[in-house]
Amino acid sequence: MLSLHRTSLVVSAAALLLVFFLYASLGVLKPEATWQWLDIIGEGGTALLCGVWLVMMLSARPAGAVTSLLTIGLAGLMLGAWADCMDEFYKLSAVHVWDNWLEAACTLGGGLTLTAGLYFYRIEQLSLNEHLTKRERLFRDHRAFDRVTQLANADYLRKQLKAELDNAGTTRGSLILLDIDGFHAINREHGTREGDRVLQAVTHLLLLNVRRDDLVCRYAGDRFAVLLPATDTLQTLRMAEHLRRMIALMRHYPKAGNTPVSLSARHVCAAIEGNADALLDTLNQRLEAAGSGGGGAVRAQPLSA
Amino acid sequence: MHEYCHASSAFISCQHQPALVYDHARSADIAAAALLADCGLNEAAMSDPATRLSPAQVMRLVSNAARALGAPDTSFMLGQQMLPGHYGAVSHALIQATSLREALTILSTHHATLTPLLRPRLMTDGPFAVLYWTDTFGTPSLRPFLVEMHLTAVAAMTRWLSGERLPWHFCFNRAKPRHAEQHAVHLGTALRFECQLDAQLIDIDCLDRPWPRGNRVAMAAALRTADAELLAEPGRSSLLSVLYDYLHARITAAPTLEESARDLGISPATLKRHLALHGTHFQAELDQVRTHVSIYLLQVRHCDNEQVARHLGFHDAKNFRRSFRRWTGITPTLMRNTLLPAN
Repeated sequence: MLSLHRTSLVVSAAALLLVFFLYASLGVLKPEATWQWLDIIGEGGTALLCGVWLVMMLSARPAGAVTSLLTIGLAGLMLGAWADCMDEFYKLSAVHVWDNWLEAACTLGGGLTLTAGLYFYRIEQLSLNEHLTKRERLFRDHRAFDRVTQLANADYLRKQLKAELDNAGTTRGSLILLDIDGFHAINREHGTREGDRVLQAVTHLLLLNVRRDDLVCRYAGDRFAVLLPATDTLQTLRMAEHLRRMIALMRHYPKAGNTPVSLSARHVCAAIEGNADALLDTLNQRLEAAGSGGGGAVRAQPLSA
Repeated sequence: MHEYCHASSAFISCQHQPALVYDHARSADIAAAALLADCGLNEAAMSDPATRLSPAQVMRLVSNAARALGAPDTSFMLGQQMLPGHYGAVSHALIQATSLREALTILSTHHATLTPLLRPRLMTDGPFAVLYWTDTFGTPSLRPFLVEMHLTAVAAMTRWLSGERLPWHFCFNRAKPRHAEQHAVHLGTALRFECQLDAQLIDIDCLDRPWPRGNRVAMAAALRTADAELLAEPGRSSLLSVLYDYLHARITAAPTLEESARDLGISPATLKRHLALHGTHFQAELDQVRTHVSIYLLQVRHCDNEQVARHLGFHDAKNFRRSFRRWTGITPTLMRNTLLPAN
C-alpha cells in the first residue's frame, strides 16, 4: 500500500528538511547548556509519533479524498511539533515572526484538517459496514474472517452464540448448520481452487437469502452456520429448508468446461440454549448422522444435459 | 546390514509430495520465495522433474507453506489431495484396490513413496483394524500437522475409492485442542485425544467389503511395477523406521543399544549419533515400541498386566506398571480403554 503514497511521503519528508534548514540558516544555535531537554523530548516525540501514525495510516489505506485529508492533517501536526522542537535548538532574532506563524498554522491547520478527515472517515466506514451486514454482528474482530469466503469463522460464531446466550432478556435465536453433500468429490475432480469457488458461490447465495440481522459464518470446510436472532423453531426450519432448496437449484460452472456441477446440502437446526460448545457438538453429530443416512453416495455430479 | 536413509538423503521426487504442498500454496498466491526459504531450492529446481528433495527439505517446505497460508485447515486440505496421489505405479495400484484391506496393505508396503514423512503401520487382529502412524525423521514441532494431514489423507482416499464415508475413529497423541471444528468437519466427530498413539481405527468388517472402482487385474499389474521400483531403490526407510521394526520384532528380549547397533551393522556410537540427529535417543525409541506393544496387548489382546509384564521381560506386574506410567504418564488400567471406541 505504501508505494501508492510515495508522493505524500516524499513531500512530508522534504517539508521536515525544509523546516530544519530554515531554522539552521536563519537562526543561531543555542549553547548546549540552555537546551530544555524535557521540551525537546516532548515536542520531538510528538513529531515522531505523528510521523509514525502517518506511515501506519498510509500503509493501510487506498488513495482518495479521505486519505488526503488524513495525510495533510497528520503531516501538519508533525511539522508543527517539529518546528516547535527546532525552536529549542535555534534562536531566531525578533525580526522573524514567521516561526510563530508556522507553528500555529501547522498545528491548528493540521488539527482542523485531521478532524475533517476523521469526519469523512466515519461516513466512509458506515458505508463500508453496509458491505459487512450478514457477515458480522455487534462487534468486529478482523482476525475472525476466513480468507476464501470472507465470512467470519467458528471462533467468531462461538462468541456470537455466547453473546446471544448471555442476552437472557430477549427472545432466543436459532442456529442452522448447513453442509454441502459430496464436496470432497468436487475438490477431488476439479481441484481445491474450484472447490474454493464453489464455497464462494454458496456464500453469496446464502448472504442473498438471509435477513439483514442474520449472521452467516463459515464453520469449517464446507460447513456453514447461519445465526438467526430472535427466531423461533418453525421460522428457522423454514429458513433452513429455503436455503437448502436454493443451494439445490444453483448450478456452478467450473472454470474448465461448460458442464455445470449441481449441488445439494443437508441441514440441522436448533434453538440457541445451554452452552455454545455443547450446542455445536450436538449439531455436528446430528449433521453427520443425517449424512450417513443416504449411504454417503457422491451427490455432486455433473448434470447430463 | 540394514540400509536406511537420513533426513538429509534426497530421495523424494519434487513432483510427489513437494509438488502437492508447493502447488497448493502457490494457488493461494503465496510467493515462491517465501515457500522455498531455507529449503536450498529455487523455482527452477522445483519445476525440474529430476529434482529430488530430502525429508528435511520437504518438512521445511511444509512448515513454510503452513506459516505463509496461516489457515486453520491447511493440514486437512493437503491431506485431502495427498492420496492416492500422482506417485507413479503405486498410485495406480491404490486407485484399482478392490478393498480397504488391499489399499491399506499397499499403503503400508509402499510407505516410502506414498507417505515419506510418517510411517503407517497396520494391525488387523482385533475387532478393529488399527492404522497407526510413527515418526520417520523426527519432527516434534510439525508432528500434529503431519498427523492431521496423514489421517485425513487415508480417510479421504478411502471415502473416495469406497464411494461412502467409512466409519473411521481417530485417535490423537496430543492434548484436546480447545476447539476441534476443523477435525469435526474434515474427519467426523469420532475423535479422541490424549491417546498415546496417533491412529485411525475401523470396524474389522469394513476391511474386505468390495470397492466399486476396484479392478484386481489392473491393480496386480500396477503393483508389479511398483514392487519392482521398490526393489530397485532399497534403503529408503528411515533409521527410526528400521529401528522400530527391529525393536518390535525383538521386544520380548529387551534389546540393548549395543545389540541393536551390531544387528544394524553400525557401531553403537554411530547409532547414538544418528539418533541424536533425529532429535531422539535409544531409550526413547525402545520405550515407544514397548508402549505400543503394551497398548496392543492390553487393548486388542485383552491381556492383564501380569501377561504384558512377562511379554516385555519385566520381573513382575508392579515393575511394568511403574515403567508404563513413566512412558505414558498414566497407568495401564486407565490406558485400557483409551484407544478403542466406547461401545
